[in-house]
Amino acid sequence: MKWLRNSIEVFIYELKCALLDEGVVVFFVIVPLLYPVLYAYLYSNENVREVATLAIDNCNTQLSREFLRRADATGDIEIVGHCAEMEEAKELINQHQAYCIIYIPKDFEKNIVEFRQSTVELYADMGSIMYYKGVLSGCTEVSLDMNNEIKAQRLPGATEEQISTFQYPIKYEYVPLTNTQSGFATFIIPGVLMMIIQQTMILGVGMMAGEEREKNRRHEAQPHIIGKNPVEMLFGKASAIFLIYVLVATYVACIVPVLFNLAHIWHWQTLLAFMLPYVLSCTFFSIIISAFAHDRESFIIMFVFVSIPLLFASGISWPGSNVPTFWKGFSWLFPSTFGVNGFVRISEMGATLNDVQHELSALWIQIVAYGIIAYLVCKRTYGKHLWE
Amino acid sequence: MSSISQVYEISKREVKRLAARPIYTFCMVIAPVAAFLFFTTLMGEGLPTELPAGVVDEDNTSVTREVIRNLDAFQQTNIIEHFPDVASARKAIQQGKIYSFYYIPKGTTRDAISGKQPTVSFYTTGSYLVAGSLAYRDMKMMSELAAAGIGRETLYAKGYTEDQAMAVLQPIKMEMHAINNPLINYSVYLSNILLPGVLMLLIMQVTIYAIYVELKEETSKEWLDLAGNDIVKALIGKLLPHVVIWFIMGIFCFSILYEWWKFPLHSGIGPMLLALLMLINAALGFGIFLCGMLPSLRWALSLATLWGVLSFPISGFSFPQIAFPAPLKALSWLFPLRNYYLIYVDQALNGRPMYYSWINWAVMIAFLGLPIMVLGRLKKFLLEYHYTH
Repeated sequence: MKWLRNSIEVFIYELKCALLDEGVVVFFVIVPLLYPVLYAYLYSNENVREVATLAIDNCNTQLSREFLRRADATGDIEIVGHCAEMEEAKELINQHQAYCIIYIPKDFEKNIVEFRQSTVELYADMGSIMYYKGVLSGCTEVSLDMNNEIKAQRLPGATEEQISTFQYPIKYEYVPLTNTQSGFATFIIPGVLMMIIQQTMILGVGMMAGEEREKNRRHEAQPHIIGKNPVEMLFGKASAIFLIYVLVATYVACIVPVLFNLAHIWHWQTLLAFMLPYVLSCTFFSIIISAFAHDRESFIIMFVFVSIPLLFASGISWPGSNVPTFWKGFSWLFPSTFGVNGFVRISEMGATLNDVQHELSALWIQIVAYGIIAYLVCKRTYGKHLWE
Repeated sequence: MSSISQVYEISKREVKRLAARPIYTFCMVIAPVAAFLFFTTLMGEGLPTELPAGVVDEDNTSVTREVIRNLDAFQQTNIIEHFPDVASARKAIQQGKIYSFYYIPKGTTRDAISGKQPTVSFYTTGSYLVAGSLAYRDMKMMSELAAAGIGRETLYAKGYTEDQAMAVLQPIKMEMHAINNPLINYSVYLSNILLPGVLMLLIMQVTIYAIYVELKEETSKEWLDLAGNDIVKALIGKLLPHVVIWFIMGIFCFSILYEWWKFPLHSGIGPMLLALLMLINAALGFGIFLCGMLPSLRWALSLATLWGVLSFPISGFSFPQIAFPAPLKALSWLFPLRNYYLIYVDQALNGRPMYYSWINWAVMIAFLGLPIMVLGRLKKFLLEYHYTH
């Protein structure tokens, strides 16, 4: 059982290295602890409510005032001012006092009375798409209600059902399946959580490898390496990282969603059976990537920026079906692509292992492939110690 | 030696250093170019099209098949599969095959003709928010059209003209004007900030690295010597080549955004180039500030990383700041990218006169003042501190 003893020795040494190095602790502990909290707090309102909107009421009749009153009453819109004309409203938008305009033309009520279609014009500053969505959905809601009432007046004596059938010979119903409030936190945070696991691990492991290489160059003794073969090195190293990240993943994937009330309708067995391969795949992957670490710090500046493209390539934001083939292939190299999609579906949709088969198989393929490459990396890095 | 020649000597030394290490080539050229190309090719469509959707058509009549054909013809919807029942379609969503499906129950056509007002439904997932909301838009529109189609037919039969029919069916209609981004191109929102944002992140980190690596390799005294121990000259000389390189990368970024993709540039390129220069300098200033505040490369880099990555959500280009908790609204002033984003909205997107965002320009200039606060400390570190391994 010499190999086991050797591996345990490496395991303990690596664990110490990681937890006593303040630079590594930042990535292994502080960032995973802090970042989810920051994100959850940032998006704690989930939705944009009460978008500041200006009203231009050129009609100024009871009907037009009613429209504006109801628009103001929706959760989406807050009418912050009335303007006499477009120029005045545009000036206020330039001054960032409001983001949208509801423009009611002069003949608004006249058209309705005379059985012509009436138009309400909406304008939105496109600095954010949420302004556009807010004013459009608020006003659409109001117009649907008012349309039904107008029709009811036009069909005197008709029952509500008759009016409704006239309006909608076929009714429709919208059933939002998951993230039913279209909340921003619910949408983006699960992806960010999986990204945090992978990226902090890559940075921390890279820093450890950089440290090792710096010590080598200074010819400092690294007793744990002497007399170990690459398999023992890999096994000890990987299990140290894996152990730390099982704890990190427990916090990030299980505690954070519960703490911040994000969707977590997973079956714990499913989550466990998915997260363990994810963490393992990340472990081998980060050991491979750490081969590029020449020194402690250069590694950080080379890999941090990758997080942002990776989050987009995972398909959580820009739909995965529309990621170009080349970038899709690129994204498949990273465990996070599968981690993000699997975790989102398990935690938000209650997907079973069968439902995430594709992602799970990909992770296991990565584990085998990256395990072998990680072994080769260890052989190259530590092999010579055996001969010396 | 005159100040100018001192600065020139230090710049020359820095150019050699930059050329000698592959890490600079990677972080200052390869990484930004790769990131720019990534985002612009990823979102080349502008708005995602042909999103995979499903159908459960239990009725299967010529009318429902027509509805499905029409839905499929919508730009954002691509019907890839017919499912026998709602349960299996839901499963397909769970498996990530589709983002939405449309359900037409048995007897819909018959009931519609006999005035029994049947109900169809559509299901979308909000977990993939962009895909889900685009699918929602198409399916809602299809449902409205299907209902209106039948309603119109009834009215035409009674002798109504098209205008009259629409006035009866939809007395009030909404007309939406998306100011300066009429096609609602998502890439306009995202790329305009993501690209300069990646640049900013790299600038902060490279600045810190370039300064601290002098400490680590014990060359900081030699560097300051060249400047006659004047930290201001030392920094200017060292970082001048950086500014030039970053500015060239920024111009490359702008040529992708405003030349290649022809994104809105209503202010003309002038104010945006100024904003770019401000962003570069703010990131440099922030980097120097962190170096002076934190006497360790790893801490300065870690904080820059945290700050840099947090810049993206907190700048509010995707989820707008009006919905942030108040403390974070206040905090966001301290992020160069947030101020850059507000300047961009006023300049490139809307072409407003510059004074409307004077406060953001002022904050950008203030970032340049940050290093002044730590010059003394930084000099002390560089002269006295010994890097501990």
